[in-house]
Amino acid sequence: MTLPQSLAAALAAADEAYLIGLSNKGTVNRAKKDLTALAAPQLQVEGQEAEVRMGDVVCRIRAPLGDSSCSCPSSGICRHRIAAILWLQGMSQDAPAPDTAPAALDFSGLRAVEPQKLARQLGARRLTELLEHRKAGEPVIRPGGSTITVELPWIPATVRLLEPLEHSSCSCHSQGLCMHKAQALLCWQLDQGLADPDALAALCPAQEGPDPETARQVCGEICRTLTAQLSTGLSRLPPETCETVERLAALAHTASLASLERALRALQEEYAACFARSAAFRDSGFLRRFSRAFQLAAAMEWADPPLLQALAGKFREDYLPAGRLELYLLGYRDVTGQSGYAGTIYYFWERGAKRFYTYSDLRPTFYEGSARRRTDAAPWGLPCTLRQAWKHALDLTNARANAEGGLSATTRCTGALLGELSPDAVVPSQALCTDFSVLLDQYSLPGAPEVERLALVLPARCEPQPYDRVRQTFSLRLLDSEGRDLWVEVRYKKQEQPVVETLERLARRLAGHPEQRPVFFGSVYREGDRLLLYPIEVFTEWEVQP
Amino acid sequence: MKELLQEIQQALADLLRSGLDAAGPTAADRLRRLADRCEDTGLHTGAALLTQLAGQLEARAHAIHKNDLPLTQTLCRLARYCELCEEKEQEQAILRRWREQQTGGAL
Repeated sequence: MTLPQSLAAALAAADEAYLIGLSNKGTVNRAKKDLTALAAPQLQVEGQEAEVRMGDVVCRIRAPLGDSSCSCPSSGICRHRIAAILWLQGMSQDAPAPDTAPAALDFSGLRAVEPQKLARQLGARRLTELLEHRKAGEPVIRPGGSTITVELPWIPATVRLLEPLEHSSCSCHSQGLCMHKAQALLCWQLDQGLADPDALAALCPAQEGPDPETARQVCGEICRTLTAQLSTGLSRLPPETCETVERLAALAHTASLASLERALRALQEEYAACFARSAAFRDSGFLRRFSRAFQLAAAMEWADPPLLQALAGKFREDYLPAGRLELYLLGYRDVTGQSGYAGTIYYFWERGAKRFYTYSDLRPTFYEGSARRRTDAAPWGLPCTLRQAWKHALDLTNARANAEGGLSATTRCTGALLGELSPDAVVPSQALCTDFSVLLDQYSLPGAPEVERLALVLPARCEPQPYDRVRQTFSLRLLDSEGRDLWVEVRYKKQEQPVVETLERLARRLAGHPEQRPVFFGSVYREGDRLLLYPIEVFTEWEVQP
Repeated sequence: MKELLQEIQQALADLLRSGLDAAGPTAADRLRRLADRCEDTGLHTGAALLTQLAGQLEARAHAIHKNDLPLTQTLCRLARYCELCEEKEQEQAILRRWREQQTGGAL
């Protein structure tokens, strides 16, 4: 019996990978097994479809093969339909060759889907994420004759793209065009040069961010309220002003103006300190925070959408794929709370990009007064805690980091501990700062995040200073070869006691061996007319390579 | 310059504390004097902003319907200007200190 031409062509084009794509590998294997045990099926051709009767089950096979139906209750492609297709393929091979050879698949249906349509379906956040993952080389695309397999490891999901698109399958078992299929198709289109990544990236910011009209109204209201407060004066304002400013911060939050919300909450703290007659209240701090909040609101009131988005900032810093990172744990420090969080910050040197990364293991303290005692962090499936990994090299796979170099503890990231290494074997001597004018220019900008102020400093000589009993401060003066000085200062507090003790031991050692040149790792800042370094770690055995 | 910047910031903080309604003609005079000192020191933008603020304060006293928004803008701009000047001044102070140490060491 002769099959309809369209069906014969579809059967000829469908290889095993295609059938697996339509259903799954188990169903195909089961259908093959069923076929060997099956009595001869009965075939009847009706129009453009073939009716295959196998015992009690009747399958209607038509092109495209995914549109075939079966009398069994299965909603997906069942083993009966696959068995019928395989049987028809076997029968076609026995029959004389058709007039036309099966055309090679060009996936015209997949090519015809507009990238912009897929981008709209994904939304700005998913699209941005996809473009970042693609930049990191994460999606794996495997063309295999009649199917295209796309692996999306960050979800994780595996999508088999078929012609037509509706018959593609996904590991999430969705029958429709799920987000994974849309992402897989867009990945393939980008890979084939059918979509422009820059054009897609341009779609992202326009769809997210604050609404300009709402932002204008909120910012206008904030400017008017702050102006009214200035007219009245701090000395005549009622204590309820705190709540007023908090309400303004809530308004800013509702309008997605993250930076303005933060500025207003900072101003509210100033008001609260003033009304509580706190000794920590300073006029200069109040002026700075008041002007910051007002200027931000005024700038955002009439800003065009791209500028508004840039000024508005983000509520939460996104962790983006950073791929593989070759880290070395330089040091860590315990932090406690004025910010309402307590815990440990770990500082890494990345051997590939030669930059610093941090990992913060912090917990809020504002509910309980102090952080609950707990075990040290051991993220990324490491066999030990991070404290134990000090001066060890470790490689991270599928790492994620934010713009400021903060690492995520995501379980998708796996870490391998490589072993203990001397820091001088890992950090090149070029990374050591010996010229303190560079520290002033590049590492001490006021308001810069800590990661941008981290430095490894190799002084030409060190001058221990007597302990300042009045200010309760330990000081160590470092000098470069040109005589510029950098001060290591730690004010005595209970939590700083180990740091002070370490530095005192170092000072005694330096007094006996003034020729020694330890390497200091810490964050640089300015105070008065001096450049200072808060020490995180001191390396006394650092061998400087010429 | 450091003292001058601190005085300007104090004048602005006093305005914030007393409020514009209570700021008499002495506040405008104080700002004008500071503007003159800024001009002498070479802080021309600071002088212009202080003069503008003083003018707005004086004009406010004669206005029936007061619009304080421009005045607040000037005050906040001036506060930011002072912050930037302070940062620059601090950098200069560190460099100056280093130079003095180097020349002192050479002598």
